[in-house]
Amino acid sequence: MDTKRKMPILPVEAYISEEWFDKEQEIIFGNSWQFAGLTEDIQDPGDYITVQCGHQNIVIVKGRDQRLRAFHNLCRHRGTQLLRAVGKKQKALTCPYHDWTYDLSGQLISVPEKEEEFPDLELDKICLHKASVDIWRGMLWVHPKPDAEPITKWFEGCWEYLGPHDPTRLIEYPDTIYEKVINANWKIVAENYIDVYHLSHLHSNTLNMYDHANAKYGFVGDHYMFWEPLAKVYHDNLDKLSPTKRIKEMTDEYIGAYVPWLFPNTGLSETDSSWSVFHTIPLAPDRTKVVVRSKIEEMTDWEFYKKSAKSNMSWHGLMGGETKYGNDDPNDPMATGDFMAEDVYACEQQQKSLKNPLFSVAATALKGESTVRTFQGIVEKWMSK
Amino acid sequence: MFHKIKISNINHPIKDAATIRFDIPNHLYEQFNYHPGQHLIIKFNVEGKEARRSYSLNSCPHNNEALEVTIKRVKGGLVSNFANDKLKVGDELEIMIPQGRFYADINKDAYKTYFLFAAGSGITPIISILKSVLYASPNSVVNLFYGNAHQDSIIFRDKLENLKKEFPQRLEIVHTLSEPKVWTSWEQWKGKKGRIDTENVEWFINNYPPIAQSTEYYICGPGAMNTSIRKTLMDLGIPKELIHIEQFGGKKDDGNNDIKAIDNAQLKATLNGKQFDLIIPNGKTILQVLKEADSNPPFSCESGVCGTCACKLKSGKAEMKSNMALEDKDLNKGIILACQALPTSENIEIVFE
Ligand SMILES: Cc1cc2nc3c(=O)[nH]c(=O)nc-3n(C[C@H](O)[C@H](O)[C@H](O)COP(=O)(O)OP(=O)(O)OC[C@H]3O[C@@H](n4cnc5c(N)ncnc54)[C@H](O)[C@@H]3O)c2cc1C
Ligand code: FES
Ligand code: FES
Ligand SMILES: [Fe+2]
Repeated sequence: MDTKRKMPILPVEAYISEEWFDKEQEIIFGNSWQFAGLTEDIQDPGDYITVQCGHQNIVIVKGRDQRLRAFHNLCRHRGTQLLRAVGKKQKALTCPYHDWTYDLSGQLISVPEKEEEFPDLELDKICLHKASVDIWRGMLWVHPKPDAEPITKWFEGCWEYLGPHDPTRLIEYPDTIYEKVINANWKIVAENYIDVYHLSHLHSNTLNMYDHANAKYGFVGDHYMFWEPLAKVYHDNLDKLSPTKRIKEMTDEYIGAYVPWLFPNTGLSETDSSWSVFHTIPLAPDRTKVVVRSKIEEMTDWEFYKKSAKSNMSWHGLMGGETKYGNDDPNDPMATGDFMAEDVYACEQQQKSLKNPLFSVAATALKGESTVRTFQGIVEKWMSK
Repeated sequence: MFHKIKISNINHPIKDAATIRFDIPNHLYEQFNYHPGQHLIIKFNVEGKEARRSYSLNSCPHNNEALEVTIKRVKGGLVSNFANDKLKVGDELEIMIPQGRFYADINKDAYKTYFLFAAGSGITPIISILKSVLYASPNSVVNLFYGNAHQDSIIFRDKLENLKKEFPQRLEIVHTLSEPKVWTSWEQWKGKKGRIDTENVEWFINNYPPIAQSTEYYICGPGAMNTSIRKTLMDLGIPKELIHIEQFGGKKDDGNNDIKAIDNAQLKATLNGKQFDLIIPNGKTILQVLKEADSNPPFSCESGVCGTCACKLKSGKAEMKSNMALEDKDLNKGIILACQALPTSENIEIVFE
């Protein structure tokens, strides 16, 4: 592999090779706090969800004491994965293979035919492998190690750069989850998220409610923080233009968009009228699943209808209705007027070129792409640990 | 060792309790450092007789507050009534430096949810822990469940209300009253009713689930409440190590009276750097023998509650009549309470550390 070709800090290999991908899964995703869901995903004692952290699948289950516990989803008998996706009100966790059963604190409590088959086995010495779980900013986070540093330490210094939102108070409406598999490496997706240079170009007609020229951004530890003010027209007509109710905590003093990237793979987008989490799950060197979940102020159907009708009506007159390539082809991502579609398109188009022998990065923007260089530097630092 | 300390202030948070503030002289400042939850042992002179009692510090060691204890009247109680009726600002009391195993280890980087359970005067160590977490562990949160007889017996009610205003996101307080006054002159009780029993504890845990998932549970109240809360928490699956209990007084009769103590066992004790070789006559506790030998052993409650007399068993065997002060982790290290321990082997060797 040609190691001279850089992206511009990481080698191209980091975005296409299986070997690099596996190492990344082990070193980065096996050793960091990762987004696992929203707190309301696990409501009652015995409810559980499972999450993939690199090579490891982890179960989060709520105990009768209302505490969450995280275990590696792996039976201590012969390693079978214990549980599927999600579940409700379990009293205990039973392995499908030979019915070894664990209580909600991960302790092995029963083994079929114990007396005859395992006379010497001491059940109380066997427990599921523990992982760490915590709640931060209304979100569930897991770490594959049992003795992970506190989540507040991991995100130390970040809180003050985030919006005033209280996500636990906001409502996630059914059918608003966005899921898509993007044909690009997860870092291409992350770099797109933090690329300041592209905002006024790729999204010249979609994200024009923000004043990109006055964005403030930088890194706090390994995490990227970003804030930009509203564009004047949008600010002055906020009530008419915003598609949903203004977030209560978003007073004039705080107004703007807070769009951080929390290392390694989670973006937030905290705006005047919504709060979203953008979870990037690496599937293969050139495939990444993105799940976006959004929350807004509670609204009745009628309020919802009125607000979006008003916003649609006002939008055309005030913000301009053109898309980047003004054609009417409904299948052209660049004509949908949807900035996500524009980003997905750009990511996939970039990934396509990576194996081209002529591929190279001529130069990167001094300011607007400094963020991409720093991010790559952080990945490089982790990979050489 | 006791130090003479002056009372700098006295106030009454409720009619039947006195909060006593101490003026610790500069040269004793370091020695009087303490962890939130710990207590002072105070020597009182009541009608010419000496009496020692333990009182938990309700002040916060992380907030530059002067040391304070709050003494609630006990019906017929010698010291508690004396303290409420007779003590004045300027009086001197003899006080031993803060001690006790019931305390919270405050770490500024921790992200923890503290569940605190208090009844009556049991609020004293609990409010110290509560304030310390709020002021010195800025990411951690506190859920307090506080039981009293009625509106007028809630110690620190205003203080707690102010703390709730200062830390609205990090503090939850639920009061429960066992005999609420239906009409007081100024309010009708709309809060929770009943004692802190199994049902109420489960209700509290379900309605105030932890935010930070590392948790600790601190309980201080009458013996029966402590035991029942501990049982409820353990039945919910909370590991024993996370549950910490302080008890202010216990019934004398619930101890173990069937210990087969050895007559005239040989005791080797190391205390204040000195060696003592003594004989333990049948029926006497290790502490009694040490006191009679004028060895000046540390003690306060002499009923297995305060933990002041804790020492380490280096060799031999001993059993305790009662133990409400030591946790499993202490017992595993061979710690015993001298005031409760009877020898069950011919030779025993202990050291006060
Ligand atoms: C570690 C520790 C910390 C303590 N902290 C405090 C504190 O912060 N504030 C406080 O007011 N007290 C506290 N106490 C209790 C205190 O030490 C005394 O036991 C209490 O003040 C009663 O003393 P007395 O001399 O008035 O009663 P005594 O004359 O010793 O006893 C009178 C009667 O009351 C009973 N009794 C003793 N204590 C209690 C009690 N707590 N509740 C109900 N009945 C009791 C006795 O069994 C006896 O029947 C603490 C005790 C310990 C061991
Ligand atoms: S592998 Fe789980 S019970 Fe056998
Ligand atoms: S003196 Fe209090 S426990 Fe022994
Ligand atoms: Fe974009």
